[in-house]
Amino acid sequence: MVEHPQFLVGAFMAVVAALVAWLFWMVPLWSRPGLYFAVTVPPEFKKTPEALDLLRSYRIQALIHTAISFALLSAAIPRHWPLLVLGEIWLAIGPVIAFMRARERVMRHGVAPVSVREAVLAPRAAHLPGGWILQLGPFAVLLAATIYLHLHWEQIPDRFPVHWGLDGQPNGWSVRTPAGVYGPLLLAFGVIAGISLMTYGILHHARVVRIPGSGATKYDFAHRIGFFLVAVEFFLAIIFSFAAFLPLTGNPGIAFPLIFTVLILAATFPLAAWLNRGRAQQLTSIATTPGSSLGDGTLDKYWKMGVFYCNPDDAALFVEARFGVGYTINFGHSSAWIVMAVVSLIVLFPLGIALTALSHR
Amino acid sequence: MAPNTPVLRVDLASDRPVYEQIVSGLRAVLVAGEFEPGDQLPTVRQLATDLGVHHNTVAEAYRVLADEGWLDLRRGRGAVVLDRREAKPSPEAKQGFARRLEELVAKAITDGVPRSKIADHMAALAKKLGKA
Repeated sequence: MVEHPQFLVGAFMAVVAALVAWLFWMVPLWSRPGLYFAVTVPPEFKKTPEALDLLRSYRIQALIHTAISFALLSAAIPRHWPLLVLGEIWLAIGPVIAFMRARERVMRHGVAPVSVREAVLAPRAAHLPGGWILQLGPFAVLLAATIYLHLHWEQIPDRFPVHWGLDGQPNGWSVRTPAGVYGPLLLAFGVIAGISLMTYGILHHARVVRIPGSGATKYDFAHRIGFFLVAVEFFLAIIFSFAAFLPLTGNPGIAFPLIFTVLILAATFPLAAWLNRGRAQQLTSIATTPGSSLGDGTLDKYWKMGVFYCNPDDAALFVEARFGVGYTINFGHSSAWIVMAVVSLIVLFPLGIALTALSHR
Repeated sequence: MAPNTPVLRVDLASDRPVYEQIVSGLRAVLVAGEFEPGDQLPTVRQLATDLGVHHNTVAEAYRVLADEGWLDLRRGRGAVVLDRREAKPSPEAKQGFARRLEELVAKAITDGVPRSKIADHMAALAKKLGKA
């Protein structure tokens, strides 16, 4: 049982606010050398006094927005819902507005990306990272958890708690029905299947940018992202399996979220570093090859808010994201909305089933 | 991917339509004998994705090359290189080619390309064609 729940809530919100602040502080740096605030610029632009001033101004604004939202969230403790909602909205929108303002300023310095495109004249041999065995691993974890629950069905109480308040008392229950017991695993299946579909899409429907002379392509990096996503899938499969065992284990106490927070942090940083190293190797390889393109050649005008790519004349369903590491969907592609609908369905349908078994009394 | 795999290059900022660039680029590779009969080319979807153009642009280019006898586009097989027997050229085709080549060389000289460079390029091209 937790003796000072308000302190814990405050500490949790402080950590979230700090993470958000750090995220927005770093975001402008997480892009290719030819991009600044998701705008194509000359590579040397980032070091100019104007660019540095722009970055400083953006960061100050982002910090102010984060501080305001933290103040609102703190004032909302323990249960002042309007302030809580306002604080969360501010946290979500404030720094984004700062980003958009900075982006508008950078657009005055924008240049056209390289217009020459190259394609290797050979069918793409797209292999899923680790092959089918590794790809099916997370599903095997879920299947094992399902079998374990099935074998211990009689030990599961008719009604069991699945959520606890900060005072240690249960405030959410489920019942021993297939939806109540297997719901978390079904939801995990949906989420993991959605991620697997995205991995497949990135490997088959994203542009392969050739790095002249080396025989390498940016596809090599996409493969690395595929491995990263499989790691995420394994992690989710384990977390959801633990959650599914709650009817058997009872209240896990603070240890459960604590262990997983530590695990997330322990896994995130090495994985992010590994991804970043791959990206750095690729960028070095490209930078030393004259005439090669740093990005996949998307034009600024097709990027809405620097985040959403929408170009109906581009056959690529996935394109390189303008900041961060990874890919984003081309919302202008004829299949984009079908993919989004399918992924939403395979996540929301199991979620709906799992929720039907929940009650708060 | 092998380093010597043929590469197609297009310039999206060029005045020349992209489908024409794809046709002439692919034709040059095919004429140079860089593919064996039966070799598979990228699918329309893959090539369009890699070039960042619409599917129809690549599909149109492939159709032109199929009409010329270079490619087999049967459904489900993708684009397969055919064993194209060289057509017997008409006198008009020969004359037309000679005229276009002269015009191209004249334009290159006008643009400042050194005559020796043009001669080198043509010799290299002739050598490449001889191998095909």
